[in-house]
Amino acid sequence: MKKVALLTTNFFHPTQDRIIMGGAERYQVDLCRLLKELGYQVEVWQIGEGWVKEFDGVKIRSIPVNKSKYNTYLELNTAFYENSMSFDYVIYFILPLAYPIAREKSIAISHGVFWDWPGFEAVAGSQEERREWLRRMSISLAGPSKLVSVDTNTINFFNATLHNYYHKWEYIPNYVDTEIFKPIDREKNNEDEKVRVLFPRRLVPVRGINETMRAAEILTKRYPWIEFHFCGRGHDDNIEKLMSEWIGKQERCYYYWKPFEMMPYIFQQADIVLIPSRSTEGTSLSALEAMACGKPVIAGLAGGLSDLVLPGYNGYLIKPTVSNLVEAIEELARNKEKRRLMGKRGREIALTFDKKIWCQRWAKIINEVFR
Amino acid sequence: MPKLTAMMIVRDEADRYLTRCLAALTELVDEIVILDDASEDATPEICLSFSRVRLHRKQSSLFFHDEAALRRELWDLVCATAPEWILALDADEFLEPRAVAELPYLLNQNYFQVIGFRLFDCWFNENYFRVDGLWNPWLRGFAPYLVKYQSHLSPQWPSLKFHCGRFPLAYRRLPRLESDLRIKHLGWLSQEDLQKKYQRAVEHDPEGLYFSRAHYESILYPREKVVLQAWLEQNSMW
Repeated sequence: MKKVALLTTNFFHPTQDRIIMGGAERYQVDLCRLLKELGYQVEVWQIGEGWVKEFDGVKIRSIPVNKSKYNTYLELNTAFYENSMSFDYVIYFILPLAYPIAREKSIAISHGVFWDWPGFEAVAGSQEERREWLRRMSISLAGPSKLVSVDTNTINFFNATLHNYYHKWEYIPNYVDTEIFKPIDREKNNEDEKVRVLFPRRLVPVRGINETMRAAEILTKRYPWIEFHFCGRGHDDNIEKLMSEWIGKQERCYYYWKPFEMMPYIFQQADIVLIPSRSTEGTSLSALEAMACGKPVIAGLAGGLSDLVLPGYNGYLIKPTVSNLVEAIEELARNKEKRRLMGKRGREIALTFDKKIWCQRWAKIINEVFR
Repeated sequence: MPKLTAMMIVRDEADRYLTRCLAALTELVDEIVILDDASEDATPEICLSFSRVRLHRKQSSLFFHDEAALRRELWDLVCATAPEWILALDADEFLEPRAVAELPYLLNQNYFQVIGFRLFDCWFNENYFRVDGLWNPWLRGFAPYLVKYQSHLSPQWPSLKFHCGRFPLAYRRLPRLESDLRIKHLGWLSQEDLQKKYQRAVEHDPEGLYFSRAHYESILYPREKVVLQAWLEQNSMW
């Protein structure tokens, strides 16, 4: 049996037991499952203290390195390169992990542009640092046989910046299981005409949490029939504590998070779904799941969200300021017919992102490279 | 739906929360395996009045001498019942009511074999929980309360006699799903309980090895020194 090693940074937290199944983690688990279905043996390697763990039947090894410069990982990459020779093929789960050297038969994945985050200025802000970062990215792109991007935004950026990798890029957008995430007729159960706005994101600033909280304060005061549901983890305990305290002071605002298996139900019960990211987006799994459940999506103008949302057709694409959010939510909240129509169109679009298609696209690339 | 078994150690619970606890569990689980630690009140009779209970009784109490041995004994009793998922709650702990609707999703998922919950210590009355110091449930993390039984895992227990946990060590090392379902703990509500627990803590841990002496002293804080947050029900979110 041929062996595939997948290199990532942090599937598990490097030193704690904490694991939060966000989009990237689910992508990794699904990709490992696909590789196993295709007949490969898979192992995951990441940063850690040398421990070995297991998740979903896949062994996860850690390499005791922790240095990172310009979001590249020279030590991790080279330690992995030297120690993974017994593996036939490699997947670099994050693009910069292929710097400075990639195994011959390998694929690297971009989950979206992350250097649009303002904090990236602190990582590589000066002209010289930016040039060095780009040089390293160029090396990351040069090594692998194929480059897979979850959105067109990343491909467009690199084609405009490092022209020579045009032929390596493959666009495999993110996916949704449209048999699990599907619409229900909520009208029957919604006699009280409540409008539920769902924020199905982690509680981090770049996902627009602060703007959404403010918009919720304004709109719940303005309309007695509107509810806001915040469904997602904080990145530490204190954030969840603060959120619970804030919720305690609000009317008709709720905070929780749910296991993946319950998320179809959560989306089905919503009327409007917010993905108001400011940066670091690909083709958000949550946006696709909302669309598959027949919900209009108000998305931030970031990353690959414009691959999913056609403004005015199945939702809105906005710069997610408080006033823009209030305006867009208000527009949909007051117009049931528009919500219904946009949700229906969203479902149709989501069908073209079905997980089966994602599996077929990945299988094709894997068959081309791993031979 | 996978089978769910609750396991519980009880001792002299008749005048506390046992009836309410078993009634709540009856809504949630298929079977309740109880090890009675030589109760001297009507605890066994109450247990037996619930049809899902399988009661085992000790003739002499072990809890105060070797809690770990008692927990291990209960674990072995549960393992003998061909369990699938095992929920470990004490007789004064309550999963909030929405667990009836949400627990099935946790039992049917197949990424995680261990589920952690946050424990909220109610103080003075059931509508408030304590948030000062180490009592803050938001900041002290999740503990495992629900596991998927796996016969290949070692049943080894830590050698600690106090604060020894509710599951074998092997389960505590598995990746854990952290659930937002809250556990409401009523064990600190009565003055009598506070005194008893304080005495037990300082007797078993005089050096402050598990928790600081200051934390143990905070058990007996007067009302004005205790910081509380309101317990908001989340039954009918949708």
